[in-house]
Amino acid sequence: MKVKIENLVKRFSDNTAVDNFSCEIESGELIALLGPSGCGKSTMLNMLSGILMPTEGKIYFDDDDVTYLAPEKRGVGLVFQNYALYPHMTVLENICFPLEIQKVPKEERIARAKKMAELVHVETMLDRRPGQLSGGQQQRVAIARALVKTPRLLLLDEPLSNLDARLRIEMREEIRRIQQETGVTTIFVTHDQEEAMSISDHIVLMKKAVLQQYAAPQELYDEPMNSFVADFLGNPPINKTFGVMNRGKIVLDGGCEVAYPKAVDLDDGHRVILSMRAEAIVVEGPSEAMAEGVIEQTYVMGKEVLAFVKLGDFSVRAYIPAELQLTKGQTVKLSLKNKGVFVFDEETGERLK
Amino acid sequence: MTKVAKVHEDGPKRTLKQMIEPYIYLLPFAFGIIVFTLYPIVNVVLMSFKNNYDFMSRSFSGWGLENYIYVLNDSYFHQALANTFKYVFIIIPISMCLSILLANLLNQKIKGSAIFQTAFFLPMVTSTTAVGLTWRFMFNNNSGIINAMLGLFGIEPINWLQIAGNNFYALCIYGIWAILPFTIILLLSGLQNIDPLYYTAAKVDGASSTKIFFKITIPLLAPTIFLVMCINTISTFKVFNDLFPLFSGPGVANNLFTAVYYIYYQFRVTRPPRYGRAAAAAVILFLIIFVMTMIQKWVEKKTKY
Repeated sequence: MKVKIENLVKRFSDNTAVDNFSCEIESGELIALLGPSGCGKSTMLNMLSGILMPTEGKIYFDDDDVTYLAPEKRGVGLVFQNYALYPHMTVLENICFPLEIQKVPKEERIARAKKMAELVHVETMLDRRPGQLSGGQQQRVAIARALVKTPRLLLLDEPLSNLDARLRIEMREEIRRIQQETGVTTIFVTHDQEEAMSISDHIVLMKKAVLQQYAAPQELYDEPMNSFVADFLGNPPINKTFGVMNRGKIVLDGGCEVAYPKAVDLDDGHRVILSMRAEAIVVEGPSEAMAEGVIEQTYVMGKEVLAFVKLGDFSVRAYIPAELQLTKGQTVKLSLKNKGVFVFDEETGERLK
Repeated sequence: MTKVAKVHEDGPKRTLKQMIEPYIYLLPFAFGIIVFTLYPIVNVVLMSFKNNYDFMSRSFSGWGLENYIYVLNDSYFHQALANTFKYVFIIIPISMCLSILLANLLNQKIKGSAIFQTAFFLPMVTSTTAVGLTWRFMFNNNSGIINAMLGLFGIEPINWLQIAGNNFYALCIYGIWAILPFTIILLLSGLQNIDPLYYTAAKVDGASSTKIFFKITIPLLAPTIFLVMCINTISTFKVFNDLFPLFSGPGVANNLFTAVYYIYYQFRVTRPPRYGRAAAAAVILFLIIFVMTMIQKWVEKKTKY
């Protein structure tokens, strides 16, 4: 099912949780709603599920206007952050519950619930109660309960945040598998960029109630529209430096000149942010040098060395080949690749180059 | 380091001291328990087996089951037990249903819920005897507010207090009123312990509020309901004080004998006092309450999740 959101606004008494949000989600996709905590992503999810009513704007499921429709009439399956499995019911009863409400005949609902349990791999623990399950198993049951009524849209609120690190990787792949097997349009909320990058078809990145960028993970990484998007994605975090344009060169605070060719036509005196991914910085490479820096610290990591290089007032991370054998205090020449280097306006954060 | 070595050197001595030490700390409290709880209980049980026991001279004619045989054959005791059981089986279900309903209403986020809460909990902080006297006025045949209210619906005045059949219901109404606040407080705290997320989850699935109430709220509240029921059953089995402000005694022609009143009657009212019979009745009442509590515990275990 296609989801279309138009100029959605949610205001609570004194703050705006979601501001003028518009996007279109294609049918059958797995979408990550990504952003730092308090950015409005959970509010967004609650408006999609119908738990919260928006202040302004429209939500369409396919061609139906569902903006003010009650949750039960939307056909959404919701998985809560702490699963909210009913503790007094067995796994089977939990999965059956949505069907029981829809007055599905008993035999049919048990058959459907068992099929769902098989899909999420909990078919061996149907008689247990939630208290006897591990976090990952509870998560699976919660997904089964949300999917059993064959919703048009599956919503997951921070589905992996209550799991330990190893289970988290396993479960995110499971979510991907279940989503692909059922083909249901799925939106999940997360604050973990790695989680969002690894499994989703598209990422909705939000910050302070505003949609920053809606794109495929690789596009978001390669072509961030503003400096927040660039900062938010990537591990190690992007190197963020500030400077001013002077005769086609970027002069970083602290006096280091960077001759980045793509920035050459920017006006003199323009304050900019130069953001560079660590893998986009070439140290002592064959191409023409664009800047000079001093090695501050090196960490041997096996096949390569992570170095901190002083550029003006800033210390940037770069990977250098181990065979170069550079040591602390040495001056090195740097060049920048085309990919992974971005120039933003310092005031607005908008992408310039 | 030296300390550790010492423990090993004279280990046994230390262990003995360590063994005794905790009991010394327990002593002051144990003393209180022994003197004020254990001794009276044991004494009552012993007393119930002493024939013709005299409390003052501590003399008795011999050990035996005479008291039990008398009490178990006494028609007053039969009536007392019948009244008590009837009272418990009327009060407990009605007060539970009312309390669950009221606790749910108080749990809603409504304006002025604080005022309602105070109003419902007031009986708990007032003297039940003083309020019992007020109830006596309210039940009054001619000038009582209850008959006046019933009159508005065209119901003839009911002589609540002075007719043998009616006064039992007056006692029940008063008993329910007196037990509500405590019951509501416990149920309310139980309700507030239920994660509201369960309600949201059920609502998203389209469950009606009735369905949510019976499928989610009641099962999740069940442990609290059982606990409250257990406590209330014990306390209602011991109904006694309520008789005095309402009826100044056991009703019309002794028709409101209750189990505890029977004990009081044998101990204090009859001349000469029958201490042994009072003790025997007390032991029987204890056994009944014990069995009832065990049954409830067993049911609770069966329904536990």
